[in-house]
Amino acid sequence: MKILLMGHPNVGKSVFFNRLTGANVTESNYPGTTVDYTKGWMKIDGKDVELVDVPGTFSLDPKDKAEEVAVAMLHENRGALVISVIDASKIERGLYLALEIIEEGYPLVIALNMRDVAEDKNILIDADKLERILDIPVVSTVAISGEGIKELVSRVKEAKPVDVDDIISNATKAADVGAAGDVP
Amino acid sequence: MAMERKLSEMDYDEEGTVTEIEEYLRRRVAGMGIRVGKKLRVVTKQPIKGPVDVIVDGAETSLGLDMAEKITVEVA
Repeated sequence: MKILLMGHPNVGKSVFFNRLTGANVTESNYPGTTVDYTKGWMKIDGKDVELVDVPGTFSLDPKDKAEEVAVAMLHENRGALVISVIDASKIERGLYLALEIIEEGYPLVIALNMRDVAEDKNILIDADKLERILDIPVVSTVAISGEGIKELVSRVKEAKPVDVDDIISNATKAADVGAAGDVP
Repeated sequence: MAMERKLSEMDYDEEGTVTEIEEYLRRRVAGMGIRVGKKLRVVTKQPIKGPVDVIVDGAETSLGLDMAEKITVEVA
């Protein structure tokens, strides 16, 4: 199994990478480009799993070389699982990318990183509700302090491909419940 | 009075709602939080064809002038 760390630039992917991997990290250029990426190994349930720190991208419609590499790396690892790292204070655009990856059929887990930064901006995210809507693990994290990392690792195996239509119907249901006043 | 203007022609600190984005650009800027119906505010504007920085949903994004020319905004 291979795991790809994906997300926008500056959301903390590399901090995650450093927390999750130990020795044996290699940094290389993507063939034919000056874009570099890092890969290493992490342990999940005692097994060694390859982890790739993919260059940051805003969407799967690449605007520059680094984004092209990010998209190419995703596409040439069809069997991979994706950890989508999202800046919790910029959740909407983060979810846009996550949904694009979900649409392509990859199993995904979401790390809502920088929970502390978001809270400083008075942004509180109901990760459980988001998890019910998306039907994949959603974990709040603060990668620089290590908060949530263990939970994230323990839940990687719950990642699974989901159908976007199911997400839409879950979201509609959740919105109805919210409108009825059951959820504050 | 509301009027429509290109994002590239907006002034510093001006606010508005996105009304139109040229088709080919739509998916590209969506990943940066810019979609039709979104409110945005121009926070910096550089001389000599520099990028346009905007705040959308409390987060800053910068766009090349060529992209900003393809986005129409209804200025409040």
